[in-house]
Amino acid sequence: MAERVFSVLGLFETPDALLAAVPRLKAKALGRLEAYTPYPVHGLEEAMGLRRSPLGGMVMVMGVLGTLTALLFQYWMNAVDYPLVTGGKDPSSWQAFVPIMFEVTVLFATFTAGLGMLLLLNKLPAFWHPFLDSEASKVATRDRFALAVEAEAGLLDAAAVSAALKAAGAASVETIPEPASARLVSINALLGLAAAGAAACVLAGAFMYWGIKLFPTLPPMSHMLAQPRLDAQMPSRFFRDSRGMRTPAEGAVARGGLPYPFDKDDQARGLANPLPRTEEVLRLGKKVFSNNCLICHGPLADGNPILTAAYGGKPANLQSKKFLDYPEGEIYHTIMRGKNAMPRLGDGFTEDERWAVIHYLRALQRAQHAKDSDL
Amino acid sequence: MLPEVLRREPLIAGPLTAAALDEQVLSYPERRPPRAWFLAFAFTASVMCLGFALIGYTVYEGIGVWGNNRPVGWAFDIINFVFWIGIGHAGTLISAILLLFRARWRNAIARYAEAMTIFAVMTAGIFPAIHVGRPWLDFWLFPYPNQRGLWPNFRSPLMWDVFAVSTYFAVSLLFWYIGLLPDLASLRGRAKTRLRQIAYTVLSLGWRGTPEQWRHYEKAYVILAGLATGLVLSVHSVVSFDFATSLVPGWHMTIFPPYFVVGAIFAGFAMVVLVLSNVRRLMGIENLITMRHLELCNKVILGCSCLMGYSYLCEAFTAWYSMNPYIHHTFLQYVTGTYGWAGWLAVVCNVAVPQVLWSQRVRRSIPAMIGVALCVTAGMWFERFVIIVISLHHDFLPSAWHVYKPTMVDIGILLGSFGFFFTLVLLFARVLPVVATTEVKATLPGAQPEGVTHG
Repeated sequence: MAERVFSVLGLFETPDALLAAVPRLKAKALGRLEAYTPYPVHGLEEAMGLRRSPLGGMVMVMGVLGTLTALLFQYWMNAVDYPLVTGGKDPSSWQAFVPIMFEVTVLFATFTAGLGMLLLLNKLPAFWHPFLDSEASKVATRDRFALAVEAEAGLLDAAAVSAALKAAGAASVETIPEPASARLVSINALLGLAAAGAAACVLAGAFMYWGIKLFPTLPPMSHMLAQPRLDAQMPSRFFRDSRGMRTPAEGAVARGGLPYPFDKDDQARGLANPLPRTEEVLRLGKKVFSNNCLICHGPLADGNPILTAAYGGKPANLQSKKFLDYPEGEIYHTIMRGKNAMPRLGDGFTEDERWAVIHYLRALQRAQHAKDSDL
Repeated sequence: MLPEVLRREPLIAGPLTAAALDEQVLSYPERRPPRAWFLAFAFTASVMCLGFALIGYTVYEGIGVWGNNRPVGWAFDIINFVFWIGIGHAGTLISAILLLFRARWRNAIARYAEAMTIFAVMTAGIFPAIHVGRPWLDFWLFPYPNQRGLWPNFRSPLMWDVFAVSTYFAVSLLFWYIGLLPDLASLRGRAKTRLRQIAYTVLSLGWRGTPEQWRHYEKAYVILAGLATGLVLSVHSVVSFDFATSLVPGWHMTIFPPYFVVGAIFAGFAMVVLVLSNVRRLMGIENLITMRHLELCNKVILGCSCLMGYSYLCEAFTAWYSMNPYIHHTFLQYVTGTYGWAGWLAVVCNVAVPQVLWSQRVRRSIPAMIGVALCVTAGMWFERFVIIVISLHHDFLPSAWHVYKPTMVDIGILLGSFGFFFTLVLLFARVLPVVATTEVKATLPGAQPEGVTHG
């Protein structure tokens, strides 16, 4: 035997001929009967002995499930997880959930009816069915009606079936061989599938990564934000040093301030802190320190901040012996005139802010070198 | 034998066999289309590109490039959305309700009308997406768990709309595809080249047409028709809730859901007539889509037109009967205000002009029906303009009143939406079977065994 037979198939010209042939072949019991028609031929299902489609029940169940899913999801989201009062209604009022319950019911029912019919009941896609390679499949979707007798357990008397089909009125008979091998599980197909899957994962991952990273932050409607105005700390291409924030001209005195006369720190040594050490002053000092000093000197003023590595310089450790004994006037002078790598910052503050930050620095120093008597 | 006057005109002109039908309809995707197709495609695709370029400009620059401004926050964007969603309704009505009513004349035009539904919903879907201003955040519309711990407000009709339109699209697509499946299998049977064979095998999922498959298939088709019937009535009702549940005078009316549904079917059938009367000639399928089909569509248009007239009167009556000065004012704006011309245009195009369809000569004349269909299309667009822009432009506070003017971008995007729709319509005619050959075959004389009539 050259090749195994999948089925023997006869083509009929009219639906009546097909319908008449079904009982005659059934009586011969040569194998499993199968028909292929270009459109539903009524009466054929009964002749072939098929039962009613169970699709209706499936759709009913899934539809009810859809209704309940929608109700429970909406209720949980708008009444339980994040109670939302709209129009003065109780968050648990359900009436306004009805439209979406209807839609989700239809959605569930539709997918059950459509995909359930195709994928579950009809077992599609079936690209490798032997019938699709037959000559008969070219006309059985047009205007011919095919009746096939399929091999059961690999056994089929092809000659007998052929004769029976001809006797039943088939215009032509065709033998469909069993496919040589299951083509779906070739190594190449699997490798191709794996490669495609990997490529899809990489693409999807890259897309999601950049998508999530970039898209939500795109500011296309930024007309109100993009103004020709310099905000604090912004760079500027207009000035040669590219700084948006300008240092005041030499000798400039801020409104409400006084000129600062000293150039050497020993001249300032005698200045005394005019502010009392109150909670309010310390709070102001903390704010000024956090906004201006902390970035270089560190949160504990021990010269151990985040930025040291980035800038390479070594800011002063204000907790060292030298600075514990430093006169407050000299600290004031350092703020006003800068020191080594430290720029002059004093112009940015009011008199009170300068002295308040000195109070706060002293408090930090005392906290780090607390004596037993401080407890 | 019935006397001549009682005999019905056949649905298919001339003798036709299943093989001839296949040759006529299914050979179309296999041939090079005629020059007219290329010309039409070039035109619609150019208009479509104009629209998409302007949408790109809108997204880049922000929706400030549109004419929308307070208090007219909804304008061309929402008008176009409502208009296009409505166009789709004729297809669903034909494929679902007429199937359940066993109106056999639907078989020949159902496929094209269903395709138009899908394209119309796709066109409509563009507008809410760009209307939100930052379309890359559109996914916020869907309830998904997020770090913000927020959920959408399911009591908002705008949320209902999201669900209604997405469901409508999904159902229409599935319904259409399932109808297409046996025809795709026929195309596979005809395929001459290996590439076509593989493509159509994949598209038809390897459909074989066994009795087992057909019985599940027919069951599924009827169930889908039943489900889609609910959608014909619900989708535009939900769209109307966007307006009706608000407190804006002119929107807050109980007539809105049926009024919107009728309007949708009305505009949809006008579009069906407009497209089919041209396509049947372009593709040489006058024997399948006959004058009788077009006449029946025109009768639906006439019926809907009368219902539109009733709705307009009902709106006028409600406005008067409400004894609410704001509603009185809004209604007067419909007919006498800055945009009064638009209100009258809608009345003339939607109610007056279609009355010519009472005459059978007009119903069976291609130029006349195209004229009426164009009128209805324009009229229905302006009806939505009236409802949306006129109601908004004079709201409760006179200090906030504003005369809305569309910009060139608005108009360009509207034109682009027509370009997009007709481009898809043309592509469909090129690549897929435009008539449901399987359904037509099943009802040809002699297609069913003796003594069994096709349902």
